[in-house]
Amino acid sequence: MAEAIQQDVKARVHRDKPLVEVSGLKKYFPVSSGIFSRASSFVHAVDDLNFTIMPGQSLGLVGESGCGKTTTGKLLVRLHEPTAGSILMQTEDGDMEDIAHHKGTALRQFRRRTQMIFQDPYESLNPRRTIFDTVAEPLTVQGIGTLTERQERVAALLNECGLTPPEQFMYRFPHELSGGQRQRVAIARALIIDPMFIVADEPTSMLDVSIRIGVMQLMSNLAERFGVSYLYITHDLAVARYMTDQIGVMYLGKMVERADTEELLSNPLHPYTQALLAATPVPDPRLSRDFINIKGGISKPVDPPPRCRFYARCPIADEFCRDNPHPPLEDKGGGHYVACYKVGVAGA
Amino acid sequence: MTRFLGRRLIQMLITFLIFQALLYFLLELQPGDFADQFYGNPNITPAARQVLVEDYGLDRPPVERFFLYIFNFWRGNLGISWSEFPRPVGEIIAERLPRTVFLFLSATLVSFWLGFVSGKVLAWNRDTVGEYVATVLGVGLYTVFTPWFALMMILIFGATLGIFPLGKFLNVREWLALGRAYTANQVFGTIILTATLLVAAIIAIGIVTRKMAPVQRNKIRLPGYAAAVGLFLIYWLVIQGPIAGGQDPMLPYARQITWHLILPVLTVTLISYAGTMLLMRNSMLETLSEDYIETAKAKGLPETMIRDKHAARNALLPVVTSLVYGIAFAINGGIVTETIFSWAGLGLTILGAAQEQDIPLAMGTLLIIGGVALVAHLVADILYAYLDPRIRY
Amino acid sequence: MSVEQTDQNVGVGAETYGGVRTEQLWRVRLKLLWNSLRSSWAIFSENPIGMIGLVIIFIFGLMALSHPILMATVWDAATYDPIVGFDYTIDSHPSAPSAAHLLGTDPIGRDVLSQLLYSTSSEFGLGIVAALVTVTIGTSIGAVAAFYGGVIDSVLMRLADLVIMIPSLPLLIVLGAFFELNLLMLAFVIGILSGFGGVTVIIKSQALTIKVKPFIEAARVAGGSDFHIIFTHIVPNLLPLAFLYMMFTVTTAIFSEAVLSFFGLMNIRMSWGIMINLAQSEGYLLRGFEFWWLLFPASIAITLLCAAFYLVGRALDEVVNPRLRKR
Repeated sequence: MAEAIQQDVKARVHRDKPLVEVSGLKKYFPVSSGIFSRASSFVHAVDDLNFTIMPGQSLGLVGESGCGKTTTGKLLVRLHEPTAGSILMQTEDGDMEDIAHHKGTALRQFRRRTQMIFQDPYESLNPRRTIFDTVAEPLTVQGIGTLTERQERVAALLNECGLTPPEQFMYRFPHELSGGQRQRVAIARALIIDPMFIVADEPTSMLDVSIRIGVMQLMSNLAERFGVSYLYITHDLAVARYMTDQIGVMYLGKMVERADTEELLSNPLHPYTQALLAATPVPDPRLSRDFINIKGGISKPVDPPPRCRFYARCPIADEFCRDNPHPPLEDKGGGHYVACYKVGVAGA
Repeated sequence: MTRFLGRRLIQMLITFLIFQALLYFLLELQPGDFADQFYGNPNITPAARQVLVEDYGLDRPPVERFFLYIFNFWRGNLGISWSEFPRPVGEIIAERLPRTVFLFLSATLVSFWLGFVSGKVLAWNRDTVGEYVATVLGVGLYTVFTPWFALMMILIFGATLGIFPLGKFLNVREWLALGRAYTANQVFGTIILTATLLVAAIIAIGIVTRKMAPVQRNKIRLPGYAAAVGLFLIYWLVIQGPIAGGQDPMLPYARQITWHLILPVLTVTLISYAGTMLLMRNSMLETLSEDYIETAKAKGLPETMIRDKHAARNALLPVVTSLVYGIAFAINGGIVTETIFSWAGLGLTILGAAQEQDIPLAMGTLLIIGGVALVAHLVADILYAYLDPRIRY
Repeated sequence: MSVEQTDQNVGVGAETYGGVRTEQLWRVRLKLLWNSLRSSWAIFSENPIGMIGLVIIFIFGLMALSHPILMATVWDAATYDPIVGFDYTIDSHPSAPSAAHLLGTDPIGRDVLSQLLYSTSSEFGLGIVAALVTVTIGTSIGAVAAFYGGVIDSVLMRLADLVIMIPSLPLLIVLGAFFELNLLMLAFVIGILSGFGGVTVIIKSQALTIKVKPFIEAARVAGGSDFHIIFTHIVPNLLPLAFLYMMFTVTTAIFSEAVLSFFGLMNIRMSWGIMINLAQSEGYLLRGFEFWWLLFPASIAITLLCAAFYLVGRALDEVVNPRLRKR
């Protein structure tokens, strides 16, 4: 059963074309001030994002809370509609399709290819529905398969997700399961419809540390077996390192740095990334990192002034940064993209 | 506050207009026609009928007729009653509205205050026999079939014990025996006016002295209350009473009305009392489990102070909110009581109009009752804002 | 996977539901429903108030059942029919309770006990229909208003305000007088009034807390339509609360019917309210202690049945809102 699904997926993806291609993606939320008055200011939750994800690769989004990473994830699964920009996604036929403003049937079709795993396993499962109902939901609402087929498929997938024996779990309710088990159910729900792309929004952050690694292992194993790509949202660089091939660092709705995971972690160029890395504890007491001091805390990007978003907290900012708009995300050599005026192009 | 009031008034007006429109078209839907109702009425002459047809726009399409009705309503013309032809509806309502408002208002105020105090004490004495008995009685009073309850009041206090009269607004024979110096409404109006002034004076004294130190407050309050009550008594006993020896003192008439008043007011009070009491008890029980009550106890404050100042004030808020539901409940209870006691207020009027198929009177009365309910809600809202320091409009 | 071995046994009880392929889904669901009912009952049965209410309701249920049985066996139709019966063996009616008529006869010679029992089933029917209408309207409107928000929400909530603020009894009096309501119509009117009013507001605020849960977003990502989300995710989570308000609606319905019948505004032939109405129109009310069987049985029946549903509602309130439970 699982083999069949795997073959199916592997066959249909064009590996030389990007799976997801995001350009100029923006999401502004109005700051409401009453029913009848039009909103005068906006939160720039996601502001001009560009990135691509290749089939079989996973991109990690890291940043502090409130930086827009969850909003980005919800834009990609179209829980939000973008204010501007395009989201190209590979279809079953290998074409690229802009799903940014899909509605109705087109949106439903798109939902067969993209799924999401949520942060909170206690709230993301409906307490009044059985595990079977929850996992089979994508199949049910899309009208795929007969009841018996769905039952078999759910059982097989629960088995794959480490909920064995599956018939012990299928007709239980979420409150009878532990956090780790619930998150496995959520993973099964995301995989049941055989998607190509999954947005995982901090799927392990609410779990006990002791069971995190099991869930992460499961997710990366399944990604490989089912040929799924993740957009993996996290604030934990160690998790991102384990789960992803590329990392994008977000700050106040902007992507400030993007590079291959190892490159980014070993050679962070943006001062914000450097500060983030410096804040991660190093398990080796003999190693020490330079402590990079950034001032203040993260604010809300409500009608931000036209300058570098990081200006107010940046240790190396100068007048040029103040007087010029937010720096573009440029390739500083070897596919290492940085949005900072102060970072020179490697080798130049 | 002014902005809040303005907004609420506009909201109220819109709500009322929707109510009016819904009601109008609902009654348009009723089997038969407006016109049918008075073609068969022997009191209405063909000439009068023609005037009515024009007044109600019966020869015009329903929508036009509707706007005519609304227009007339807001000019104060509520139409002519068919059952009491040719009295205008407005006049009938004006005569009876004060009686209902008095019944409703006095019962609501007294029952709210009683419910607050007894609910508070009940919750404080949780799990005692007294609390258990009182709660059961409260539930019984809350769910009792109100017509039966009102009837029992009459049967016990009127028919069996003979303390109070068997209903009605006044006894016509006794009234006439007093002479015919005043109409019932004149006397009743004076009673309402003086009673309102008395209550207003007491409340005003209470509010003005609210922020003072307890010793000083009591120095002002007690003489103040005494003076208000004194003035009230002087008016009735001296100016309108036998002592001054003036011509046609109003006191015997007032006594006659008051005598008829007590039992219905008591009945409506008891009916709406139970709801407030049960709610206050529940709300108080919830408040008593809050941490700040524990803190107050730990501080060693006197029990009555914890109960009255710390717990009861906070427990009161949901009870005031529930006035919104309570008002409708009290009005329902009032209508039943009026009919049982033959108390000629709006409740009896609407029932009579309904039974006589008198559409203008039924509709006018219903609209006015709705208006009274809306105003009562506004007052409850303002009271809520006054009590809850977190809400400032 | 070994990391989570210990984790897996948490919450897994002893019994299993058998193999997936062998058991029918509907049987599994029935079992699950039974289990959830059993656990709710366990909480409810600890509440003495609710149990008292339930016992009273049960007794009235027996009374409703007993009428057709008595009519078929011991009671002779000509004498004991609640509407057209007449006892010729008694000289003057109303007659006081006797062996033949345990609760006496009414002013036109009919058996009061028979009337009392006969009316019980229609009171239940009225209450149940009104409650079902209330819940259907309350949950759908509440869920829709919470889900869509905006203009739809504002319009529906203003309407709810109106229904809450306008006292129901005068409105029912006017409707009853001009439309000749029968029981079913009254059930619908009361159901609509309480469904559009307070129940909607309470259910909507509950729906708002459910609407923002991630499982709603999960259902959307799964491809669920608005309809699917409202009716398979939001509404089932509202039902416990709705069930609680059904009980209060039953109280309102029985009470309103009794009052309207007492005023003679209902187009029905027999009910507890009509029994009191007859006592009134025949002039026995002010001699209510003397002719107690004309006034008391029906009044007490109305009071008790209303109180019973009210008590069950209060007890359910404690089941649904655990913070009210005794601490």
